[in-house]
Amino acid sequence: MIPSPSSVATDYDMASGAVVTLNDVKVHYPVKEGILQRVTGQVRAVDGVDLTITRGKTMGLVGESGCGKTTLGRVIAGLVSPTSGDLWLDLNPEQQAEIQRLRALSPSAMTVAEREIWKKLEANHRLGSMSREKQRKYRRNCQVVFQDAFSSLNPRQLVREIVGRPLRVHKEASGEELDRRVIELLERVGLGAQHMLRYPHQFSGGQRQRISIARALALNPEFVILDEPTSALDVSVQAQILNLLVELQKDLGLTYLFITHDLGVVQHMSDQIAVMYLGQIAEYGPTDQVFNSPLHPYSRILRDSNPTLEGEVAGSKWELSGTVPNPINPPRGCRLHPRCPVATASCGWSVDDLLFTVEDRTPALYETISGVERASDFQAQVMFESDDAAGEFANTAGQLGALVASDQALSVDGKSVTLRFPEVSDAALLPMSPGRWTSCTRTQTMGKLPPS
Amino acid sequence: MPDQEPLIKVEDLSVRFHSSKGVAHAVDHVSFEIFPSETLALVGETGCGKSVTARSIIRLVPEPPGEYASGRVLLKNDDSTFTDVLAAPMKQVRAIRGDRISMIFQDPGKALNPALTVGRQLAEVFGEHRASVILGDAGIGGAKAGALVRRIAQQRAGALSRGAYSLVSRKKSIALQKSIDDLVIRALADTGIPNPRKIMNSYPHELSGGMKQRVMIAQALACDPDLLIADEPTTALDVTIQARILELIHQMQQRRGTAILYITHDLSLVREFADRVAVMYAGRIVETGPAREVLASPQHPYTQGLLAAIPRSQTPRGELAAIPGSVPHLIDPPAQCHFASRCQWAAPACSRDVPRLLSLSPKREVACLRFEQAADRSSAPEDMPIRAEFERKMTS
Repeated sequence: MIPSPSSVATDYDMASGAVVTLNDVKVHYPVKEGILQRVTGQVRAVDGVDLTITRGKTMGLVGESGCGKTTLGRVIAGLVSPTSGDLWLDLNPEQQAEIQRLRALSPSAMTVAEREIWKKLEANHRLGSMSREKQRKYRRNCQVVFQDAFSSLNPRQLVREIVGRPLRVHKEASGEELDRRVIELLERVGLGAQHMLRYPHQFSGGQRQRISIARALALNPEFVILDEPTSALDVSVQAQILNLLVELQKDLGLTYLFITHDLGVVQHMSDQIAVMYLGQIAEYGPTDQVFNSPLHPYSRILRDSNPTLEGEVAGSKWELSGTVPNPINPPRGCRLHPRCPVATASCGWSVDDLLFTVEDRTPALYETISGVERASDFQAQVMFESDDAAGEFANTAGQLGALVASDQALSVDGKSVTLRFPEVSDAALLPMSPGRWTSCTRTQTMGKLPPS
Repeated sequence: MPDQEPLIKVEDLSVRFHSSKGVAHAVDHVSFEIFPSETLALVGETGCGKSVTARSIIRLVPEPPGEYASGRVLLKNDDSTFTDVLAAPMKQVRAIRGDRISMIFQDPGKALNPALTVGRQLAEVFGEHRASVILGDAGIGGAKAGALVRRIAQQRAGALSRGAYSLVSRKKSIALQKSIDDLVIRALADTGIPNPRKIMNSYPHELSGGMKQRVMIAQALACDPDLLIADEPTTALDVTIQARILELIHQMQQRRGTAILYITHDLSLVREFADRVAVMYAGRIVETGPAREVLASPQHPYTQGLLAAIPRSQTPRGELAAIPGSVPHLIDPPAQCHFASRCQWAAPACSRDVPRLLSLSPKREVACLRFEQAADRSSAPEDMPIRAEFERKMTS
């Protein structure tokens, strides 16, 4: 029996080691309004992510636009500093266990010895607390290939300058040595010395992406973040680039973080995938298992909506309804529940979730609401213009799955409806079987994906 | 369907672009037909000329630098005559655009005017093509309405000239606006937009990508066109929304019997949404046929390569069959098979001759020298590409 890990961050192939470990990483962007630019809210781009990237493997990060996958990639690359949470580098399993233990303690509860250990770990491994020297080393060790090779290459620089720039900045090479290294790198990615004295506009999309890859490889990194590297390319060229990436990984022992919205590509490329929705990881597990037997409704919806050449998936297709909720005020409980095809009353409805969903689906009904008196996030009294509207509101709420067999949740009293939802905390990512994690609360209780 | 007469016939269409570097042959002798209520998918990679072909159908290619070097685009009229869109006077072409043939563009964010409300933009279509309906609904009487009122109805729907307001009575003016609004709301509601009255008064930046694409669809289908050209309608959208938009287009097609020319680079979408497919490469159609048949047994080496390059669940990692090389430049291209430089079957004859689209079975056509006889080409048999695979198929 494998001891069940306490966090998804400790669930990885310990023999291979971890390149990067994320602990409860959050990135919130302030929303400013008015002349005084007062902060009126926070866009929760990334909201509490735990993750470990295993050395020598490919981790796929999938999700729709706006789910925070690119922001998370930027955090890992050190381009965005997280609002809260830690990013640890090169931890061994003992250190990782130690960190998990100490994180659970509050700083005041730590003994002096523990505080010393924590400080030492921070100084050696935590990005942001470590010495500049070490941070610079990480920057060299972790490189990014961006989505759009049209805008990530400087149009006024020659390929020699673009690819040689990292070498020059880190004072690795200069003069003839630099040229020699640049040619070596270009040959590595399937270009040649004849391309060295050209400008980016003289290349096709695929060739440009090769130049980006050559630049990323210039400093012999062990970890490369690929942010949608092929989404701007045609299929036949995409295949060339994917083959090249796999070949490079084999030859150089690279670790990849593959960020994409294309499920076919991520299925082909990655060992592990993390499915993101609204700033959180919805499901995490080995790629094949996540595709063949998803444990989160959102993963299943993504799989079902992805057109394939092989024909339809057996069984009915699941679909998302409605629109993406506001990331400033995301749904409580499981973040998917207002759009989920199998949501029930226990999925974490709050007053705002219900009102948002009603506004989204039946705007005419929403307009009959004359006032809302909130007691808390989960309790409120909604006033209507007429008795009929109040009745219809109760009906609609029932159809949405917001209340099943819980009489107290909603009571109609003339023109007003009283909502009393049970209070829930945010859905946590929990292990279901070795290496498989899901944040769907229904799956967690049933042990499998709820039937439709 | 084949026994019906085609709705639109594109015959020998060539489009060239003149630039300082030479003449680009963007579309090179392309012919195809679209039948009523059918979906034809035009598939190809970036720069293969699929969008230019589509735009040519409603004569949207700017002249200059573009030039229609040859060919006709014949649109069938109600009385079984054909109008050549490329030769017709501009006034007639404008009457066809948006009314009988309309188009959905790739990026709804760029195709909608950011300075006008959604309702105003939709009203333009009605003003242009349905001015008499608007007047009739407003009770002004289509036939009796003077030229001035008619003009105001158009302007009210479109650019809106404020001075013209006062020329009709206030009562008429309100009735006019109401009838326009009704048409717009009906069009929006048709596409499944939940609150058309609110959406109508919002600006494009206030809407999500999927919603904007719905508005585009509403606009395109406002006048019940016979042909809808969908130019990569879902490329800018997420997968979950893509499925819904395609489903919506499909529903609208079934309800109204619209023919669709569906332009895409994604072969896996073709399988689900198209009846027939035409694969384009470097300005020419290289293979056509029923979608499922072509995807199941592609005959042209390019189609085969394109299908093999798509990552599938069982492909071992790193062993995708990429097509080597890249798309050739189309500026003053030599008379040869454009795929010859990337083709595994290429033989000397391939770089001398342009292959013709030959009928392989009743519904399928392929342009590859592998399917041609050496005698027809006056080439030496040893110069022709190997036919072994093809002959095996013919005998079996």
